[in-house]
Amino acid sequence: MAFAPMGPEASFFEVLDRHRTSLLADLRSAGGEPATRETRLASSSEVLASIENIIQDIITSLARNEAPAFTIDNRSSWENIKFDDSVGLQMVPHCITRKVKSDSPKSIQKFALILKILSMIYKLVQSNTYATKRDIYYTDSQLFGNQTIVDNIISDISCMLKVPRRSLHIISTSKGLIAGNLRYIEEDGTKVNCTGGATAVAVPSNIQGIRNLITDAKFLLIVEKDATFQRLLDDNFCKKMSPCIMVTGKGVPDLNTRLLVKKLWDTFRTPVFTLVDADPYGIEIMCIYKYGSMSMSFEAHNLTVPAIRWLGLLPSDLKRLNIPKDSLIPLTKRDQMKLDSILQRPYVTCQPFWRKEMEIMADSKMKAEIQALTFLSSDYLSRVYLPNKLRFGGWI
Amino acid sequence: MEGTAVAVFEILRYLIIHWKCEIGVSKGALLEEQLVISIEALHSKHKANALHCVTTIAPIGSLYSGFVFKKFLKEIQSVLPRFSAKLSGIPEDSSCSQLMSAVTPFQMIFEVDEKPRTLMTDCLVIKHFLHKITMVHPKIRFNFSLKVNGILSKEIFGVENEPTLNLWNGIALVVNSQHYVSRPKFGTTESYCSRIHPVLGHPVTLSIPDDMIGVDLSGELTLTPAAALCPTLKDFSNQLNRISSVSIFLYGPLGLPLMSSPEQPITTVFKDTSYFIDWKKYHLHVVPTLDLNLDRDLVLPDMSYQVESSEGAQSQNADTQGHTLLLFLFVDFHSGFPAQQMELWGVHTLLTTHLGSILAESHSVVQDAIQFTVDQVLEQHHQAAKAHQKLQASLWVAVNSIVSVVTGSTCSSFRAVCLQALQAADTQEFGTKLHKAFQETTQHPFLYHCSCEMKQQTPEKKDSAQSTEDAYEEGNPAPRAETCWPEENKRLKSGRLHRVVETTHAPHSSRAPRRPEPPTASLSPSGEKAHSKAPAPSRASPGNRLQDALWLQEVSNLSEWLSPSPRP
Repeated sequence: MAFAPMGPEASFFEVLDRHRTSLLADLRSAGGEPATRETRLASSSEVLASIENIIQDIITSLARNEAPAFTIDNRSSWENIKFDDSVGLQMVPHCITRKVKSDSPKSIQKFALILKILSMIYKLVQSNTYATKRDIYYTDSQLFGNQTIVDNIISDISCMLKVPRRSLHIISTSKGLIAGNLRYIEEDGTKVNCTGGATAVAVPSNIQGIRNLITDAKFLLIVEKDATFQRLLDDNFCKKMSPCIMVTGKGVPDLNTRLLVKKLWDTFRTPVFTLVDADPYGIEIMCIYKYGSMSMSFEAHNLTVPAIRWLGLLPSDLKRLNIPKDSLIPLTKRDQMKLDSILQRPYVTCQPFWRKEMEIMADSKMKAEIQALTFLSSDYLSRVYLPNKLRFGGWI
Repeated sequence: MEGTAVAVFEILRYLIIHWKCEIGVSKGALLEEQLVISIEALHSKHKANALHCVTTIAPIGSLYSGFVFKKFLKEIQSVLPRFSAKLSGIPEDSSCSQLMSAVTPFQMIFEVDEKPRTLMTDCLVIKHFLHKITMVHPKIRFNFSLKVNGILSKEIFGVENEPTLNLWNGIALVVNSQHYVSRPKFGTTESYCSRIHPVLGHPVTLSIPDDMIGVDLSGELTLTPAAALCPTLKDFSNQLNRISSVSIFLYGPLGLPLMSSPEQPITTVFKDTSYFIDWKKYHLHVVPTLDLNLDRDLVLPDMSYQVESSEGAQSQNADTQGHTLLLFLFVDFHSGFPAQQMELWGVHTLLTTHLGSILAESHSVVQDAIQFTVDQVLEQHHQAAKAHQKLQASLWVAVNSIVSVVTGSTCSSFRAVCLQALQAADTQEFGTKLHKAFQETTQHPFLYHCSCEMKQQTPEKKDSAQSTEDAYEEGNPAPRAETCWPEENKRLKSGRLHRVVETTHAPHSSRAPRRPEPPTASLSPSGEKAHSKAPAPSRASPGNRLQDALWLQEVSNLSEWLSPSPRP
């Protein structure tokens, strides 16, 4: 059902349609009919029981005069990560763990904070209320010290209990935006229509609760930066390229933005492309959407979209379009290190074209933002670059 | 004739300087000698109510090559004009070339008439002097005996096999804390480290006041402070988390105690408690201790302060509560040439009479040096106390969180199991027992292990120590839970502090600081019998080196805990 204003003619999307067909064929050959996959959340009673088990274990240790400790999967070690082309980065089944001991000066505070947050989660689940990570932090900011500590403990608890964060009744604040050919109804019944033209809709905080998703989109474009996203909105890109969806995570995406992209892919198998800066951090952000992150690898199945393709800005585009050196930026030492690190990652080996692009960047020692295209014209991005890329299959 | 005590001081001072200078003991080597000092007192035939005291000083061992008695007598009379003595054993004008290792080669004997009370005081003062010497000359041993009207008492002053801290110039500070403070009356022996851990300050040059006519030194005087808290606590408790007293020890060149005369006490300059140390920055109010009890086993400080609480009440007896801040002031003499005996002798005499003026002349540098050293020690103590508070706060967070879950649970079986595990009748008792259980299981490893007193771990604990790391990648800070670590690691972080090496002569020691021979009694001024001294407890053998390394690794990161404190 077409509900959006007319975009390009149908022939414009031929390559895109073939691409989608190819993706579906890949999925079928990988394992059965492509079907939407509902993420199963742990029930409240399951979460409460898990927490009670942990508490009981601690008390039992103390009764035996043994110092209790938490055993937590080491989310920060590459040794615990395996790469699967169909999933992305995920934790190995029997991974290296680390102990958070109560009898160690280094970890006693962390031990106490884990218990503190566990008790808070317990109360949230019992009372069927929700809180954000920020709310948790502000219950006792002096105790916790900083937000990062809270965030990591929550992720560790999620990993330890093997339940998604939402099951812990901790929601994350969304910072992403959506625009384009998409309608849905939120859990509380709110009807949302992202076809707004010059405005975008905030990514909802309860992705699992969304229902009645409707879209005709031929593609989903993930835009790295909010500035680029706004520029495309201003240029009416969604109308010109209708039907399509645009999403931005405003940099490193939050969990809800990733969940939304994942949900759209799972539901509609809409081809997903990324538009990122031609720099190592842009590439890394793209990898997070596609293959996931090390820290959240325990939830990879819910978050990754390995079918994502890199649309732009490619390092090879810079030469092809004769972008002048003035518009380019030298790679910093940090950039070099980041680039080297990405090249070492397991998923790059199965992406020879990506590797080649990164090697072009490494050789030239230069990077560029998407805004470098304004050298050609102020609307070159939305008027020429993206339409051509989409029409003629300029993705890798 | 000067009193017995003064004579003994000067003779011992002469002998030690002689040993160091004339015999050519290498600069860094510790003097290793044994000396017998005996005083025999009988009713005087010439004075009423007086005792005729014959003091004999006899070195044991082969060390007196080059010692010329006549020269000694002449030189000693320059400070003790009325001193007279005789030598027995060998001709007075010959060198002591006979080397009879186990037999006293010669004896110096002098006689004086003294009132009994004066003699008793002199004996106590002599004993304290000997004790002070052995604190920096651990290989010198004194056999002291007193025989009064046939009643004999003996004491041996020596610190063989006790842990020491090598300083410089052939002296080493004994770090056995039992010499400095009494064993606290509460708390277990496991709560305290048996050693002090001095922090050395940087040496500063002392100026000679212009009005000291005739003083012409070929070198320069330096002052090096050292400070330590005693006892070194392993387990902080509120009761002992305070400084209750300050003891100042003065040593001159070659580690000889500086003993002043009643006419010109060298400690006058310390009567003003804030002259060298700003106590207000530590929120301490100190007052001089007026009454120093001579009759005690501890090393007698040259100056002592009591710390009054902020409410203004008198602080309690330092022996029963609180730390004592020990401050050692080492005055040394340096010249470009090997020190000559008379030169050092002169320096000692100068310091004995004019130390106060000299320190006052160099007030600002002395104050800086002492303040810096005291800052280091008290800062460590403060950080450790702070870390302990953070630790306690963490435990309370853990306890309250668990109690919250247990009390809030609607699962009766879960609650029952939890209460039963700790044998608690109700949730209130559960909370109390839970806290206690945490204290018992988590506090012990937090005890401030010294590398000098690591206990053997059980095999299970050793494996635990070697297992996977227990820290988050964020490097979440852990509390600094130790004050009792080898000072070397900490000192190296400050470029201003000396590098010292802590040595232990032997891992096991059962030798007491003094060991009088029972059962004969000696008469103290009060007429009470002297007590036998119990031997010091055996020291635990050094612990697992891996645990040392792991523990040092952990405590090296403790400073990160100094961000905002969690609420208890």
